[in-house]
Amino acid sequence: MSARPSLGAEARNVAVVAALFAVAPLAVLGSSYYESVLAHLLLIALFAVALNIVFGHTDQLFLFVGGLAGVGAYGTALLADALSVSAWVTLPVAALVCGLIGLLVSYVSAKRKFTVVLISILTLNLQLVFSEVFVGARDLTGGSTGFPYEYFELGVVAEAIGVEEKLVLYYLVLLLLVATLGVYLRLVHSKYGVAFDAIREDEIAAESIGIDVVRYKTIAGFVAAFLIGLTGAFFARESGYILPGGFTFLAVDVVVLIVLVVGGLRTTLGPIVGAVIVVGIEEFLSSAQSLQSWQSAIFGALLIVLFLYFRRGVVRSVRDALDDAGLTGDREGGGTDAEADGGR
Amino acid sequence: MVTVSTLLGVAVDGLAFGVFLALLGVGITLVFGLGEVLNLAIGTFAVMAVLVATVVVESGMGLVVAAVVALVAVAAFGLVVDRTILSLVYRSEGEERILLGIFTTLGLTVFLDGVLINYFPSRYTLPLNVGTVSVGGATLTGGSLVILVVGAVVLAVLFGFLRGTFLGKATRTVFQDETGARLVGVNPRRIRTLIFVLSAAVAGLGGLVFAAGSAVAVSNGFQFTTFALIISIVGGVRSLVGAVTAGVLLGLVNQFANFFVGSYIATIILFVTAIVVLLARPEAIS
Repeated sequence: MSARPSLGAEARNVAVVAALFAVAPLAVLGSSYYESVLAHLLLIALFAVALNIVFGHTDQLFLFVGGLAGVGAYGTALLADALSVSAWVTLPVAALVCGLIGLLVSYVSAKRKFTVVLISILTLNLQLVFSEVFVGARDLTGGSTGFPYEYFELGVVAEAIGVEEKLVLYYLVLLLLVATLGVYLRLVHSKYGVAFDAIREDEIAAESIGIDVVRYKTIAGFVAAFLIGLTGAFFARESGYILPGGFTFLAVDVVVLIVLVVGGLRTTLGPIVGAVIVVGIEEFLSSAQSLQSWQSAIFGALLIVLFLYFRRGVVRSVRDALDDAGLTGDREGGGTDAEADGGR
Repeated sequence: MVTVSTLLGVAVDGLAFGVFLALLGVGITLVFGLGEVLNLAIGTFAVMAVLVATVVVESGMGLVVAAVVALVAVAAFGLVVDRTILSLVYRSEGEERILLGIFTTLGLTVFLDGVLINYFPSRYTLPLNVGTVSVGGATLTGGSLVILVVGAVVLAVLFGFLRGTFLGKATRTVFQDETGARLVGVNPRRIRTLIFVLSAAVAGLGGLVFAAGSAVAVSNGFQFTTFALIISIVGGVRSLVGAVTAGVLLGLVNQFANFFVGSYIATIILFVTAIVVLLARPEAIS
């Protein structure tokens, strides 16, 4: 059933998208508002790539993306302050902690054969614990008033090259996104991808042909959580300020889920396409004065409609349309993924 | 030194909070047990009831009238949701349906919160004005006692309905064996509608009960939903008795933890309890 485009075609697509985003700030140069929107878009896309690995490919619905991102962000900052070292040193440590949390959750869930509902409820509860700690541990986190987030000494680099700090951060995030997509492509086009497919298709059958289900699910959980933690630190850096409210379920997870579903689960560019659409809508709604107070209502309505009628995602729909028009010639398997993925 | 009478007061408040939790938990349990839909909008239903009641009270009506109007309004809204969104959800089967249920009710929460916040930007309480009651030297909150009585009556009626009436029996048949129920002439879709409307009303009552003691804002909706989830996890998602027991137990635990170690730790204790139970006996919910 593995009917995704070949590795070469996918890598080329990623390169094209990366090039587009590399020149994107030129069009809006000088407008720090649009530079912020672009950076925000890439960060949301990064979260969605991570969720795609764990939810899209191994059916483990992680509903604590916001919480993990918070652990990554707070962890990086608090450790850097406590040890008086650069945030560059503490970032991998915090991300590793997130990775281990994901690993543990996936390991326990896989061992105990948790269904997708159980994993979602388990992670949602963890999310709420994290949120409570961010708000409640005032002495450490500054409570609900937070603290300025000026880590990673981007100012030094910005001065050296002679550009704005915002732009440095933007390209840093873009680099992270391209690297992450590289990891993603390597992962799904290797034996891992094959195993993921088999596990999603039929877990028991996968086990019977010698696939270590627990191991693969755990790896997916670790990689995703590590990426989320890593991204979380830059997420806070982008706002310049860290607040518990920025890492809640409704603030992060809901958006990331829509992005992934709209873009297309189990597709390479889905998270980016989804982020462009969703962040675009968000910015449109918040810039239109008359719609401002209705932003979240419209968003919710959109969420319902999308989930009910549009679960295949933009990327897959467009790909099929191109196929029908005979515009792509580099597919490995023929058009079977419509049935295989029609599920959600 | 903490006196016995203070502890008694805390216990009664805990039981009242437990009634609120139990009502929410029952709301989740009824619908999930019957249709495999995890209603993540249930907390918002509870908030809606409070808002409707507030409007009625402000228009000069009494509290009881307000409560009745609020419950009818929420039940009617539940009917609309059932006929529209849930009808589409019920078209799919198994795990697919569960996921779709989670996503669409989540969307519903975001939608409703977004709509309601425009009309109800502040926090709302429904003052019971019954003062305090002195029982053997202990000062008890009158509101908590009223809640206890109301909660006990409603839960008793609910159990009576499920055990005593034909509709209730039909409901339990669908709970246990959908195909079997269909064979003996029970229409599962009808029963699901009935139960969803009932669960909306029960959640609405939960909201009213909560608002009798503390202020409720639109943003509390999702928090209430998480409470409901915790109760149904701890109680076992298909067991009504479990939901009620878990509600009362955790209500007590929460109130005592609140009293001794503060509200922040108390909330964490609630969530961690849910996680531990989930890990210890996942079969209760799957």
